[in-house]
Amino acid sequence: MAKTGTWVIVILVILALSVAASVYLYVPRSAGGRVAKIYVDGELVRSIDLSAVTESERFTVEAGGGVNVILVEPGRIRVESADCPDLVCVRRGWLSDSPAPIVCLPHSLVIELDPGGGIDAEVG
Amino acid sequence: MRRAPLLAAALALLLAGCAPTARSSTLFAMDTVMELTVYGPQERLDEAAELIHDAEGLLSVTAEGSDIALLNSAGKGEVHGETAALLERALEICALTDGALDITVYPLVRAWGFTTGEYRIPEDGEIEKLLEGVDYASVRLEDGAVALPRGALLDLGAVAKGWTADLIAEGWRDAGVKSGLINLGGNVMAVGSKPNGGDWVVGIRDPFSDGLVGAVSVRDAAVVTSGGYQRYFEEDGVRYCHIIDPQTGRPADSGLASVTVTGAEGVLCDGLSTAVYVMGLDAAAELWRENAGFELALVTDGGEIYITEGLEDVFTPMDGYENTEIQVIRRG
Repeated sequence: MAKTGTWVIVILVILALSVAASVYLYVPRSAGGRVAKIYVDGELVRSIDLSAVTESERFTVEAGGGVNVILVEPGRIRVESADCPDLVCVRRGWLSDSPAPIVCLPHSLVIELDPGGGIDAEVG
Repeated sequence: MRRAPLLAAALALLLAGCAPTARSSTLFAMDTVMELTVYGPQERLDEAAELIHDAEGLLSVTAEGSDIALLNSAGKGEVHGETAALLERALEICALTDGALDITVYPLVRAWGFTTGEYRIPEDGEIEKLLEGVDYASVRLEDGAVALPRGALLDLGAVAKGWTADLIAEGWRDAGVKSGLINLGGNVMAVGSKPNGGDWVVGIRDPFSDGLVGAVSVRDAAVVTSGGYQRYFEEDGVRYCHIIDPQTGRPADSGLASVTVTGAEGVLCDGLSTAVYVMGLDAAAELWRENAGFELALVTDGGEIYITEGLEDVFTPMDGYENTEIQVIRRG
C-alpha cells in the first residue's frame, strides 16, 4: 500500500511539473493581459487579447485599397503578407513584447499593444 | 414640476464635478503615426488634426507647393508667417548647437538615399561637393522673405514635429485643457498632468532590442528621442544611420545609441535630440551645462546610461537595465 502511495505522489509531481513546463513554454511571459489593437485610418477595427488566444488564427484586413493578412498566435500577432509596395509591415515580424507598433504606412494600418505597466506613451 | 429645475441644477453640479472623458485619435501625417489623447471635447482633436495637416502642407520637403518645396526649387521666396517663425527658431537652435543641427544638410541626406530608401554610399568627391552648400548660417530670413545660399536645400524635418506639438499644446492650454498627451510618431508632448493628477510616464525604447531602457515622468513637457537604430542600412557589415553629421557629410558616429531630450519647448527638444546624437556625450554635457530649458537621457553604444541631474528623480530604468549604473551629469 505504501508503494502505491509513493507512485501516486511521483505521478502527481510529474503531472504538476509538465503542466508548469507547458505553461512556461507556451504562454509568452510578457503577454499577460496585453491587448493588440488594429487601426485602419485611425479607426479601431479590431482588438485582440493576445493572452486569451489559444489557437492561431489568420484573417484579412482591408485597408487603404489593399489587403493585409494578419496572423495571430498565443501571445503574439504579425502581418503575414500584404499587397503594399514596401512590405515594411511584413518584415517587422511579430509584435509580442515590443512596444514599437507594426505600421503599414501605404495602407494606413497600425497594430499596437496597449501600453501596459503604467507607461502612457513611448519615444524612440 | 417644481422639482425639475432643482433636479437639473443637481445634475449640472454632478456633471461639472466629473472629470472629462478621454478622447483619442490616430492619424497618419509627416510620414509617421500620430496619436492624440485629450480629456476634453472632440473639437480639441479636430483642431489638432487640422493643425497637423496645415503644418505638413507648409513644411513638407516633398509635398508640392509647400513653402519649403517652393523655396528649394527657387532658392528664395516669401513664406507664410508660421514657416518664417519656425525657420527663425530652427536657425537659433542650429547656432546654439554650433551646427550639429543644420537644416541645410538635406542634399547629403538625399545623396545617401534616406529620402527614398534607395540607399547608397556616395563617393568622397560627391560628399565634398555637396558639403559646400551646407551652411545654416548663410540662410537669409527677413520679414518672411527667405534666400538660400547656392546649392543649399532646406529641410525642417528635424524640428517640424516638435514645433507642431508645441502649437497643439498651446491651443489646448488656451482652451482650458488640463490633461492631454500628444504623440507625433514618438515625439511626445504632455499637456498638464494625468487626469488623476499624476505625472505622464513616457517610456524610452531600448536602442538594442525590443523593450524599454527606462521611463521619465513628466508634466507639461516634451519628450523626444533620436537614435541611429530608428532608420539605417547596412553594407559590408557596416551600419549607416539616417542622421547625417553636417561636418562630415556622413552618418553620425559619436558613440551614442539613443538621445532623449525633455523640456517645456517641443521644437527645442526635437532639434536638440538630433544635434546631441551628432555631437556625442562630452559635447552634449557641455551644451547642457551652458544652457537651461532641457534635460538629457543618453544611452551609449556600449549600453551605458547617462542622465542630466534634472532627471535624477524622474528617470526609472526598466526591462533589464534595472541594475545598470546610471551616471549623472551635474552642473558643478
